[in-house]
This record gives sequence, structure tokens and C-alpha cells, in this order.
Amino acid sequence: MSIYLLIYFLIIVSAVLSVISKKLINSAIMLAVLSVGVSLLFFTYEAPWAGVFELSVCAGLITVIFISAVSLVKQDDEAFKENRVKYTIFPLILIIFAILSSIFVPDYFSKLSNFSIYLENQNEPVGKFIWLYRGVDIIGQLTLLSASVFVIKHIFKKKKTAEER
Amino acid sequence: MNTNFSVDWFFISILFFTGAYCMVVSRNIIRLLIGFEIISKSAMIAIITAGQLSNNINLAQTLIIIMILIEVIVVATGLALIVKFYNNYQTIDIRKLINLKG
Repeated sequence: MSIYLLIYFLIIVSAVLSVISKKLINSAIMLAVLSVGVSLLFFTYEAPWAGVFELSVCAGLITVIFISAVSLVKQDDEAFKENRVKYTIFPLILIIFAILSSIFVPDYFSKLSNFSIYLENQNEPVGKFIWLYRGVDIIGQLTLLSASVFVIKHIFKKKKTAEER
Repeated sequence: MNTNFSVDWFFISILFFTGAYCMVVSRNIIRLLIGFEIISKSAMIAIITAGQLSNNINLAQTLIIIMILIEVIVVATGLALIVKFYNNYQTIDIRKLINLKG
């Protein structure tokens, strides 16, 4: 049980640091640490496929996208003056929320977990779930992926000059 | 094997609150996306704990793979829009988005 608490501690601390840090690049790096913590949690929950995807895509690809976007808008990030009080008081608000939720949340969810149905013999491999049981979702994913590619292509379309027309 | 479902959901609620607070108070558009990322991480942990509770972890893994892909699409499209907005207006303040008319 202690390893779970340690990983959860890492996740919460990195999330809080990513919210309260002043520079956007630090926020993006702390988000990568958060993703690493979540993938460690997945590995300890015996979910290696989800852990590998989380580690490679969320901790790798999304961090690269964030850092490149932050570097593109860097000039405004330095000039952007925002009121820092709401970030500095955030740990205090989070502690109050944690105390309140420690009173109400565990009782409610221990009640809720009694309604779950424990399934026997669910030892089928992940590939069977992806390709057979949720095979239609692959079409949805491909549609979303192609839609996002078209959107990004149109966002960064070059304007034609008068000579090219 | 961890079976303490309510402790998991205590931490999930804290993580969700962190992301929601970031999305509510921030005026920086990139910080809004960071808050969205934190909320989606809490949803992923929720799915995997629910899968563990019902002894159906492989279906939960499948759902998480789909969710990661959707998250990447949303973040990539959102950041592309932000960079385009920055190129046109030289700001990343969410309140200046009111200039986008028509």
C-alpha cells in the first residue's frame, strides 16, 4: 500500500507545482513528471499497455508539443503580467479541500464500491478487446485523427501571394 | 493488488480539483490546456481503478488507449489554434479572445 501512496504523493505534488509555477516551461515539465507518475501507477495496477502508452505519448509527445508552443509564444509569456495571489494561495485552498474531502469522499465511495460487479475469468488479452469487442472505436479514432490533421493543415495554410494567383 | 477504492478516489478528487482550479482562475490559454490535461489524468486513474475493482483491467486499458489518443488530438489542435491566435494578435490572454468576431 505504501508504494501507491508514494506514487500518489508524486502525482499530487507535480500537479500542484505545474499549476503554481510562474514560467510556462516549468509547468510543461511538471506536467511530464505528472504523466510519468500516472504511468508508474498504471504499471503497479498491472496495466502495462496503458502505462506504455501514457509514458510514450503523454510524457513524450504532449510535452514536446507544449514546449514548442511555449517557445513560440515566449515573448508574450514574459510580458504577460497576471495576478499571482490566486496561485500562491492555491496550496492553502487545496489543503482545505483535502480535509473536507477526507471527511466526505471515502465514506461515499466505499458505499458506491459495494454496487460494483466482480467479473470472473476476465483474462482475455488486450488485443482481443481492441480488435474484436471495441473494433468500431478504431474507425472513430481514425476519423478524429484525420479531422485533426485537416484542421491543423488549414490553420497553418500559407496565404497565396498575388503573383501565385 | 490494491483494493482500497475509496482512498484512490480521495486522491482522484484532489487531482480533479487541482485541474479545475487551474482552468477557472487562469487567464493564460496554455494554462487552461494544462488544467485540462490534469483533469484528464484524473479521469484516466478513475477508469483504471474502476477496472481493477470489477476485475476487468484489460477493457479499462483499451478505454485508456482511446482516451490518450483523443487527448493528443485535443491538445495538438488547441495549441495550433493558440499559436495562430498569437501570430495574429500577439497575446495569449483569454479575455482578448472577444476580438474574434464573425
